[in-house]
Amino acid sequence: MSLGATTMFFGTDIPTLVAGVVLLFSILLMLVRAIAGPTVWDRILALNAIGTKSVLVVALLGFMTKRPEFLDIALVYAILNFLATIAILKYARKRRLG
Amino acid sequence: MKDNPIMRLAVRWNIPFMLIFALYTQTHGELGPGGGFQSGVIVAAAFVLYGLVFGGAEMRRVVPRWFTDLLGAVGVLIYAGAGVYAMAMGYEFLDHAALMPSNPGGAEPWGMTVVEYGVGITVFGVMMTIFNEITEGTNPEDNEPTDDSADTEYGS
Repeated sequence: MSLGATTMFFGTDIPTLVAGVVLLFSILLMLVRAIAGPTVWDRILALNAIGTKSVLVVALLGFMTKRPEFLDIALVYAILNFLATIAILKYARKRRLG
Repeated sequence: MKDNPIMRLAVRWNIPFMLIFALYTQTHGELGPGGGFQSGVIVAAAFVLYGLVFGGAEMRRVVPRWFTDLLGAVGVLIYAGAGVYAMAMGYEFLDHAALMPSNPGGAEPWGMTVVEYGVGITVFGVMMTIFNEITEGTNPEDNEPTDDSADTEYGS
């Protein structure tokens, strides 16, 4: 059974795998918007959403590999994503960070 | 940006939790991913967030420039001091058994803890110094002197 082999390979169940694939596909969609976005606000919004999805991917990887301490990494990434979005917004508006 | 009530509230409510999380990362580095470097980065991120929203001059009023510049060296002093202390006690450099000669295996975690705190302090100081170098004097409303004259002095 190919599905059974896949389950054993990742050490997880099918719904988690489907969630991961959907998350990666949504990251791809937002990457398209980040590259093609007409205005800088589109790009900032797309980058922020990619960061949010990355947090979810990291958390999902933690569940896949049975290592819940990945949630700490996800928290740090959420903090840095919040910080980076504010920094980019401030720089785009005022051309300085101070 | 400090005129925006949403930004002000979001940052004020986030910074304490970021600092607590940095302490958790520092003290539970052996149980999960973490340690001194990550902890220092998170503490610095909290203050950088404050500086981004309330202005760099306001941040340098809370955490003065001389203080963060000093911390960058104090952490290295703690790290190297743990090693030199072992040398002074007759062990090799950074041999943490010197802290507790009767129980070398039990002394190892204590030595590692001291070293990690040194790493965290240094990373915090250096990250704040980088942010200060980027932002100092860039806000015309602050009337802060830039350090450009000192830079050319060293360069020539």
